[in-house]
Amino acid sequence: MGPYGSTTCSGVSRSASSSSSSSVTKPPADIDGCLADAGYKVRSSDLRHVAQRLERLETVMVNSPGDLSHLASDAVLYNPSDLATWVDSLLTEFNHQPLISLPSDLDFSDGAVINNPAALPRETWTDNSSVIAAAPQQNHNQLTVVTAMEEDSGIRLVHLLVTCAESVQRGDLALAGSLIENMQALLTRVNTSCGIGKVAGYFIDALSRRIFSPQTVGSASGSVHENELLYHYFYEACPYLKFAHFTANQAILEAFDGHDCVHVIDFNLMHGLQWPALIQALALRPGGPPLLRLTGIGPPSPDGRDSLREIGLRLAELARSVNVGFAFRGVAASRLEDVKPWMLQVNPKEAVAVNSIMQLHRLLGSDTNRNSPIEMVLSWIRNLNPKIVAVVEQEADHNKPGFLDRFTEALYYYSNMFDSLEACAMQPEKALAEIYIQREICNVVCCEGAARVERHEPLDKWRTRLEQAGFRPLHLGSNAYKQASMLLTLFSAEGYRVEENQGCLTLGWHNRPLIAASGWQVMSMPEATTNQEAVGIINQNNNPNHI
Amino acid sequence: MDQNQNTSSRESKEKRSEFFINDHIDILVEILKRLDGPSLGVAACVCRLWSSFARNDSVWEHLCFRHVSSPPPSSVKPVVVALGGYKKLYMVCLRPVLSRLSDSDMVRRVWTRHEVQLSLSLFCVDYYERSGRLGGGGGGDASASSLMFLCNTVNV
Repeated sequence: MGPYGSTTCSGVSRSASSSSSSSVTKPPADIDGCLADAGYKVRSSDLRHVAQRLERLETVMVNSPGDLSHLASDAVLYNPSDLATWVDSLLTEFNHQPLISLPSDLDFSDGAVINNPAALPRETWTDNSSVIAAAPQQNHNQLTVVTAMEEDSGIRLVHLLVTCAESVQRGDLALAGSLIENMQALLTRVNTSCGIGKVAGYFIDALSRRIFSPQTVGSASGSVHENELLYHYFYEACPYLKFAHFTANQAILEAFDGHDCVHVIDFNLMHGLQWPALIQALALRPGGPPLLRLTGIGPPSPDGRDSLREIGLRLAELARSVNVGFAFRGVAASRLEDVKPWMLQVNPKEAVAVNSIMQLHRLLGSDTNRNSPIEMVLSWIRNLNPKIVAVVEQEADHNKPGFLDRFTEALYYYSNMFDSLEACAMQPEKALAEIYIQREICNVVCCEGAARVERHEPLDKWRTRLEQAGFRPLHLGSNAYKQASMLLTLFSAEGYRVEENQGCLTLGWHNRPLIAASGWQVMSMPEATTNQEAVGIINQNNNPNHI
Repeated sequence: MDQNQNTSSRESKEKRSEFFINDHIDILVEILKRLDGPSLGVAACVCRLWSSFARNDSVWEHLCFRHVSSPPPSSVKPVVVALGGYKKLYMVCLRPVLSRLSDSDMVRRVWTRHEVQLSLSLFCVDYYERSGRLGGGGGGDASASSLMFLCNTVNV
């Protein structure tokens, strides 16, 4: 179902040299020529309208739980010149409610049915609060059809959300509260199992938490075990984490080329799902595997179980099966800034790789004082002189100081993410992945100060930050790109895109990158550094850039 | 004249009945090595002898790397064996990956090194997840496997 605009053929001035029978007369100038050949008279100006109706009809027919067999016999098009009205009548039959023609000032690009208006580029939103369905809904619509009324409600929801956020920013909590009630009422008229209804539901919930019960927000973060489980389901349900792991592994593998003692420092071990693939790749590398040390950082488990050590044992068993010398060390820390470099016990002779999957943004404080945790951590990373620092971060700007800016950014970002999740059919993976995302949303929207850890920043800001901290970018190379593209093909959901961005790779949904992977090396110091490391650190990495 | 014809036809019948494929295991193995996955599965049901050969991992090893443009290095075999064997690699990983990546007949195409490497990595992740489930370690109730997404039908 491509954009209908591109398949329109002009009905004007069709030459009579086509091999049709002589009884075919040239259609009048404003009737579409292609459809006229098929026997339908539709004005070119009405084409988009008709196309929208047909697409909706198709959606209804696919999703309708009822028996459609009557359509085969009963649906007869008596008047080919009025295709639009006929499709309307079929739709009405399904919906039992009158359809309202779309107001002309709402621009739906390409005439496609929009499930999620918030995922459109914001220029197409119109601030038109007079667009409300005229006829009240007679019954709750069970079908997953996006009718004109629902589209209007969706747009209205987004508008109300933004207005509510703006009143929160101004401090007008009374207005915000009443807007929440309006939105909750509007939600009942919208399909909340997909599209804008679902995303709006989560954002309304987050806003109401912020307004009505801010003291309960901290407890929404969940236990360590819960977080690990949700992370695992997020890993299964969509390709973002797989992309992160495989891309980082490829960069680390290439950086470790030629070294026999290697040490990987993982800033967030979780279940250690990233490392089996690296262990296997190292086992098969030409020249034989190196001795691999893995230091896994993670939160301490509350019930006394040493979960880090358990993961380490599993990985060690795997490494033993494939004959890779392996040693594991777990570092339990509830915050990354609590980790001190001596805990990592880095040997100066080994090649070090630092792996940070969505961890660095948690170090960004809201106040830009000199000793912010990020600078401290980046400086001790630099002092380790790693061969590579693999950084994967959400490609979003959720750290703006103004609440409204943050809110609208998050709405746009997470709408795209939920859209991409629609492609996943596995349950309960999909539902639990949504809870994982919902926790992020809550943190971005409800929390402030030290509690807000989801301070996502876009790739350009990370580039500046890392370059100022003394790193230079390492291009990820074509192998990583090919692997990422292949991984996406396996996921077989149309819509995911891998893109290369100045040596970094991003994975996104349609035009919107959602996660970015990059590699970094220490910039060689021209003068001696004032730290415990040896004077005159020379960048010993001779790996050419794989482009 | 008639007697000659009768004896020659009797001789040819005897000659025909003397050839029994199960007596020529080397030929049998050579044939099995060239079958595709589903045919190997069918062959395993014919009789005990065929079953023992069709289940032999070396036949599946041939199947896995038959169409790779260059033969895999010798270090691959112990890794694959440690992770569950070639038959498992084929069934769990290679077959869905390759059918997903190619739109033409899978048997005749050449598999690239990248595709094989990616399959091996996915196989390893799957092994790791399976080992976690059996051990009852963290997330024991997670029945998800990272390769389950390969079972989804392709969106057309």
